Amino acid sequence: MYGFEAMSFNIHGGYLEAIVRGYRSGLLTAADYNNLCQCETLDDIKMHLSATEYGPYLQNEPSPLHTTTIVEKCTLKLVDEYKHMLTQATEPMSTFLEYCTYGHMIDNVVLIVTGTLHERDVQELLEKCHPLGMFDSIATLAVAQNMRELYRLVLVDTPLAPYFSECITSEDLDDMNIEIMRNTLYKAYLEDFYRFCQKLGGATAEIMSDLLAFEADRRAVNITINSIGTELTRDDRRKLYSNFGLLCPYGHEELALCEDLDQVRGVVEKYPPYQSIFSKLSYGESQMLDKAFYEEEVKRLCLSYEQQFHYAVFFAYIRLKEQEIRNLMWISECVAQNQKSRVHDSVVFIF
Amino acid sequence: MSGQAQRLNVVPTVTVLGVMKARLVGATRGHALLKKKSDALTVQFRQILKKIVQTKESMGEIMKTSYFAMTEAKYVAGDNIKHVVLENVKTATLKVKSRQENIAGVKLPKFDYFTEGESKNDLTGLARGGQQIQACRSAYVKTIELLVDLASLQTSFLTLDEAIKTTNRRVNALENVVKPRIENTITYIKGELDELEREDFFRLKKIQGFKKKEIEKQMAAARKFAKEQAAGELALKKGLPLDSGFNLLGQGSQKDEDIIF
Repeated sequence: MYGFEAMSFNIHGGYLEAIVRGYRSGLLTAADYNNLCQCETLDDIKMHLSATEYGPYLQNEPSPLHTTTIVEKCTLKLVDEYKHMLTQATEPMSTFLEYCTYGHMIDNVVLIVTGTLHERDVQELLEKCHPLGMFDSIATLAVAQNMRELYRLVLVDTPLAPYFSECITSEDLDDMNIEIMRNTLYKAYLEDFYRFCQKLGGATAEIMSDLLAFEADRRAVNITINSIGTELTRDDRRKLYSNFGLLCPYGHEELALCEDLDQVRGVVEKYPPYQSIFSKLSYGESQMLDKAFYEEEVKRLCLSYEQQFHYAVFFAYIRLKEQEIRNLMWISECVAQNQKSRVHDSVVFIF
Repeated sequence: MSGQAQRLNVVPTVTVLGVMKARLVGATRGHALLKKKSDALTVQFRQILKKIVQTKESMGEIMKTSYFAMTEAKYVAGDNIKHVVLENVKTATLKVKSRQENIAGVKLPKFDYFTEGESKNDLTGLARGGQQIQACRSAYVKTIELLVDLASLQTSFLTLDEAIKTTNRRVNALENVVKPRIENTITYIKGELDELEREDFFRLKKIQGFKKKEIEKQMAAARKFAKEQAAGELALKKGLPLDSGFNLLGQGSQKDEDIIF
């Protein structure tokens, strides 16, 4: 199974795999993060970043630098790299690359829909969308007056169409809480992506299944914890869990019954790969859970680079870059708000 | 300003004096009451000032914490979280209402905040970051509480300041302008009345003098007449005509040609 890829992968994918590995070596290292954490002002950060790959993007910014500008420019770099790879890709790699961004597309669609329902201006909404999730007909989303029209007119042409039809009928679309809609869509997207990877076969299928399973399990745990004490019923909760992953199906059954964090911890600790996450938290504390999940994710993403000739390196690169942008945002905000002591709380080193 | 307060232009009569005296009593009473009011207001003022200083200090701390909670939420839930939350909002859940409080006669506005309606944002960040978002929300609710308190305190501060200035102005006016003026008026009236009295007295005395003179004159005239009467009677008794006697006396005094001496 593994042998055949070495022969044919490089025909179509060799150039891009080399490109993405080059990008990956340009990610900030622990030494860079240490330097950044020592900065006193945002200008220092700008100076340090100009020595890294972000140099050309931050050079032209005027001096009172804002944290949001830093984040914007870094995201811009990611978008440029992604577009470069996408234009060079052939099938099935191009489909794979597009799949990587459907998550952001879902976020953008949900944002525009809520904004339209509350009668905000379309242009403003478009500016607030994530650049990786833009597609051509996104502006027409604002035209629709209710969800049925929305689906009929617009969503049918987007790649997100099957997710809408799978999970919700048109009555549900009107009443449903936006968050539930977003999570249902995301669940459908994950399952679709999983199926696609399985179809691709080989190392891609194996590594991506692992990564996607982790993602699905993480979402299940987060949904459980965040819906404790809200009006989300257990059945609704169960509907939002994906149908693959380590925790499915027995873990999901138990998670649906959980009413507080310690029960969740009990359920998850039965699965050895996730034990290390919860061991970092003391009892009753949930603040560090997200950081623990991010660390675990970064570990797995880095491991995917150990193998060659598969597409998971692209997915991993996009995720690692997003984590890096998150780190930079955190460091800049800590420096700008004079909270240097908290800087190390949430920075996840990638190497 | 005139160094010594002037006096009011009044007709210096007794009634007006009575009126002025009443006004002086009123002014003194008013002055004492206003001074008490001013002291009470100043006490309140100092208290509010202390509270404002405290609140502002804690405001700095709390704003810092809530901004940091916001950063944490952004870190976990993604940068877009601000837009997601904003787009989902129709009306505000935290509202402020104002009412009036009466402190030592001054109406001060006070603001209270109250929650209205359920927030639909309970499920935000369901898949990631929900905890941080709710923590951020409660941090900002605390900030709003503090802000509303600070707003009440500051408006009360300004209003009280105005009120104290006005009251002090009135106290000073009463003390330095109105009362001296009225006192001077009273003094003036009293002076005028005294002078009138003196004039009257003098006039009376003068008239008495005249009368006395008149009486003396009359008495003198009467005496003279009485004397003449007596002399006339005497002459009559002697058989002389009244006139002759008179003539006699008259001739006696004249040079008689017949008599050669």
